[in-house]
Amino acid sequence: MEEYVGELWDRLITGAAEKRHAAATVKLDDIAKSVAIFFRALGGDPGLGISAAPAIRHGARRRLLQRMAGSGEKVELSWRDGEVLRLPSQIDLFAEYALNRDLYFWLVAMAAVDTDNNQPWIVRNQQATQSTLQRFPGLHVRYSRLVDALLAMRIPPHKLPEDEAAQEYSIRQALQQPGSVDEITLAKRPFQPVPLWPHPNPPVSGEPTATGVGSPEQASNAAQKKNRRKHLAQRNDVKDDKNGFLMMFRAESLFSWAEFVKVNRPQDEEDDTETAQLAAEDMDSLTIARDGKASAANVRFDLDLPAGAADDTPLGEGVLLPEWNWKKQVLQPDYCSLQQLIATDAKPCELPHALKNTANQLRRQFQALTPTRHWLKGQQDGDELDLDAWVQLVSERNSAMPTSEHGLYRAQVNQERDLACLLLADLSLSTDAYVSNHARVIDVIRDSLLLFSEALTATGDSFALYGFSSLKRSHVRFNYIKGFDEKYSSQVRGRITAIKPGYYTRMGAAIRHASSLLVQQKRRQRLLLILTDGKPNDLDQYEGRYGIEDTRMALIEARRLGLRPFCVTIDTEASDYLPHLFGAGGYVVIRNPEDLPKELPLLYAQMTR
Amino acid sequence: METQTSSTPFYEPSGDECDLFERAWKNRLPLLIKGPTGCGKTRFVAHMAARLGLPLHTVACHDDLTAADLVGRHLIGDGETIWNDGPLTRAVREGGICYLDEVVEARKDTTVVLHPLADDRRMLPIDRTGELLQAPPAFMLVVSYNPGYQNFLKGMKPSTRQRFVSLTFDFPSATQEEAILMGETGIDSMTAKRLVSIAGAFRALRDHDLEEVASTRLLVYAATLIKDGYDPVRACQAALVETLTDDAETAVALSEVVSATFGR
Repeated sequence: MEEYVGELWDRLITGAAEKRHAAATVKLDDIAKSVAIFFRALGGDPGLGISAAPAIRHGARRRLLQRMAGSGEKVELSWRDGEVLRLPSQIDLFAEYALNRDLYFWLVAMAAVDTDNNQPWIVRNQQATQSTLQRFPGLHVRYSRLVDALLAMRIPPHKLPEDEAAQEYSIRQALQQPGSVDEITLAKRPFQPVPLWPHPNPPVSGEPTATGVGSPEQASNAAQKKNRRKHLAQRNDVKDDKNGFLMMFRAESLFSWAEFVKVNRPQDEEDDTETAQLAAEDMDSLTIARDGKASAANVRFDLDLPAGAADDTPLGEGVLLPEWNWKKQVLQPDYCSLQQLIATDAKPCELPHALKNTANQLRRQFQALTPTRHWLKGQQDGDELDLDAWVQLVSERNSAMPTSEHGLYRAQVNQERDLACLLLADLSLSTDAYVSNHARVIDVIRDSLLLFSEALTATGDSFALYGFSSLKRSHVRFNYIKGFDEKYSSQVRGRITAIKPGYYTRMGAAIRHASSLLVQQKRRQRLLLILTDGKPNDLDQYEGRYGIEDTRMALIEARRLGLRPFCVTIDTEASDYLPHLFGAGGYVVIRNPEDLPKELPLLYAQMTR
Repeated sequence: METQTSSTPFYEPSGDECDLFERAWKNRLPLLIKGPTGCGKTRFVAHMAARLGLPLHTVACHDDLTAADLVGRHLIGDGETIWNDGPLTRAVREGGICYLDEVVEARKDTTVVLHPLADDRRMLPIDRTGELLQAPPAFMLVVSYNPGYQNFLKGMKPSTRQRFVSLTFDFPSATQEEAILMGETGIDSMTAKRLVSIAGAFRALRDHDLEEVASTRLLVYAATLIKDGYDPVRACQAALVETLTDDAETAVALSEVVSATFGR
């Protein structure tokens, strides 16, 4: 009974205190793509990703009810750093859906403006507001609607103590007449958060690790839906010589929830991820230790390179390749070393039985694309007379029928397919993930390569197959599967069957090398087809924006060489970054990875028709 | 040489392209114009033809355009065959500008008839009639193409390209584009400014979210609708947003840019 009443009370109070409007909620996930395009259209940096911001304790005065309910402590504000634009994961501030949605677009418009970071926060916001309104005068109406709605919700100044009231007045004035407030005297207590403005002092996410210790690329379930809410990340280095069981602090200085304690729990393998998830969401910041010792559940492989004897045979000397550093905006020459490898021990084999039917079908379809010489009838001009058409014309005229204009010739046409295609497959460890109960990504890639080869052999187009993976810049692995001048044979099938997942995805270097191979093909059209399952990433600084920008540069170089890059991916979140790399028409996301083997040849046919 | 008269189509120069065109014409050099769709290539040629007082023969090239379509063919009349000149032959006979729009779209054999015309021989051999036409001094060959949306299997052969003087067009600068909108449609400068600002925002999406960006021609369409009294936001949606994308989410973002500019 006691519990029941407590629950009722809790629901009543939280309900009354929550100035949130569930029915009018706008979720970032639903409008993320539109918001991202809007951001870029307004001049925002096209390389930035969009991500949800963590909720932050604001410490400002709350309404009585909110205090009783223990709610309204945290607020999600937006901010921007070098990698991402962070926006609230959902907005339910106002009772009207349209207002909440407007707020999203307003925050994005503000973020697209560059402001002088030396100015105080309040001046900066007013400047951003002014320049946004000046450039997009149509936002005026929307802005004043938002301000009106917001002011009605804030605790009015006359109900606040004197210093907080002054502070509140300044904020109100700055909102209503942007540009009119030059400074703000801060009260002891922080001001109530202003959801229309970006975060006053955005937390800095962990510095990219300079050292090589990295977490392994996880082979997790590819279909798993990621939680978009991000946590403030702090990255701490772990002192390895300390035993976690020794108390390294004085007991009287208590740590709060979020502080980082290195606990040595190697046996912790419980699967209670749901509780952990909830706990994580309650925390202000998550501290992630990078000590390279991931728990056993996540580790399925050995990071060491295989011994020389067990590994694929290196082909010739390594190739030195440049890499683009977007922070410095320079191309670092000879930065990566790429090694071509060949699986010499791969046993020649036949096409797996399960693929035979599909292969036959594809071969028949693709034979239609084969260049053949054939006669076209009824042409306006050509090499020979089209007697049928001539007879028809004469008889029509003789029977005094109205005659139509006929083509009276037969012409011989040569449908020419002058193209070369290089298919570059991602063989990083992430392809070890399962896409269904019985197939891993790598199995899907293997089948795709087999069917692709079958289909292309039928057309007679010249093609090559390569795979790539990497382990830092010194060891980019480039697996030779089939060269342009090699025939598709049981040996090639053997090499396709022998591909195995491993290591990371240094895409830029692989693309550069593939481009240099493809450009030697003296064909009129050259297609660089990239098959991948995720973002570029490697152990060193090659992650996030760095990897994306290097890949982008490699693709720009490829286009300059006259190649056409095209990406086929099974990463469902690819629309976050692929438009930046390949452009609107330059990629395709295969929603159901198991369809890839069949889809890939058809895509190729569509592209080259 | 004639100057711009009321019958000359409106054209706002963005550089010295008019000068280059005149010099190329005077010195009998063929001209290649590249640029995105709707940036004024065709208008420029029409304007220059009027300005130089030359007849203009325009051919919009398409997939099925053959050499015979350009040069001419025998038509079968009542008991006889009649030779009928194609637009290229007509231009060579009469003198004037022959403008081949989107030349890469045409079949490959058409470029072969252009070769002897485009170099210093300036000749057009007609196989069917055995004629060999020498182009008069007033003849000029102008071709254009859009490097952006070339079909994957099509491109211009280097041997063809290297016979032309080339001119690259891009969208005009903001102030010029405003002038163009006002000159073309007579809308007020405030609306023109806003339309150009929308176009600027859309053009930032090139290579990312849009395959083709808002052309000056589309802006003129939008301006025409607005001038006619149509609601600006709806006009932009009809002339710009829906024309540029089929993707619903992209359309939402573009509409937001429109309403951020015109308000609602």
